[in-house]
Amino acid sequence: MVKFVKVIPIATKVGTVTIKYPYAKPLVTDSFRGAIEVNPSKCTGCGACTRICPPKALSMSIEGETAILRYFIGRCIFCGMCADVCPEKAIKITKEFELASEQVFDLYVDVEHEVVTCKRCGSKFVTSRLLNKVEQKLEEFPKELLYLCPRCRRIEMLSKQTYLR
Amino acid sequence: MEVQRQTNLETFSSKDLEKALQRIKKSIWVFHLNTGSCNGCDIEILDVLTPWFDVERFGIKLVASPRHADVVLLTGPITIKTLPRLVKALRAVPRPRLVLAIGSCAVGGNIWFNSYATLGGFPNIIDKLDELGIIIDKVVYVPGCPARPEAIIYGVAVMLNLIKQKSHYKKVKT
Repeated sequence: MVKFVKVIPIATKVGTVTIKYPYAKPLVTDSFRGAIEVNPSKCTGCGACTRICPPKALSMSIEGETAILRYFIGRCIFCGMCADVCPEKAIKITKEFELASEQVFDLYVDVEHEVVTCKRCGSKFVTSRLLNKVEQKLEEFPKELLYLCPRCRRIEMLSKQTYLR
Repeated sequence: MEVQRQTNLETFSSKDLEKALQRIKKSIWVFHLNTGSCNGCDIEILDVLTPWFDVERFGIKLVASPRHADVVLLTGPITIKTLPRLVKALRAVPRPRLVLAIGSCAVGGNIWFNSYATLGGFPNIIDKLDELGIIIDKVVYVPGCPARPEAIIYGVAVMLNLIKQKSHYKKVKT
């Protein structure tokens, strides 16, 4: 009983510590990392973020006529490695953390990209924006090889060499 | 008693759910269920119950038995070993059965989504639970690794229909 009385002056000195969360702003510092945001005007669809993502919250898949960069917030661990690795700086870390939802479906964010089809075999292999970027960077690259998928390109290169000999 | 319980199960319609939700708007009792979590989310749940966040001002109280609980706080990616215990605990919860899946493990499986030892999150087993006769009336997913205490309070508010959820499915074209 006597020990308990000791607490009373300490408690009066400290006062109320409870934060009024729903009415007051939560503590969010500058270094806080929340959900990421992909800028669709900058993203080329190279897939560097999907490779670095530890839980594979970002995934790239070709569905029909489009390539989709899918971001599943429910699996994201908010590490921010995708923003570090993005060559176009298209991924921005926001401070959003109030992400609760009733459906899992609401936690998905899709970014659609146009796809280039291979001129020989007709398979879809890369986003058109990434291809344009590579075209700008490699000036001496033969144009006819650019629109072939990696497998057809290999066959084309080999057949050329064998023909010359 | 047996007959009454069965009829109660069958006749629990959406209207009854609404009524029940209105009734528990004032104060909810929560039961903490760990299904193979790394303890990060569990510590955040403890944070919520401390005087700093003090959820007892909303009437939220931690109880020791699922029979007394309104809401189950589920953490962890549901490992194979914990699955029988999870089913047992959820069966003991009275209707309406509300589940708050906390943390990215419970929502999407986190880095264990593809593992042989886990089921990869709560959404994967809802259908199986339905087959077993354990109907989950409402689930709210709270992402975060670990989920912030504020995010958990926000999730409870979404569950009780006090606020509308912010996140929606987005599809953007380049």
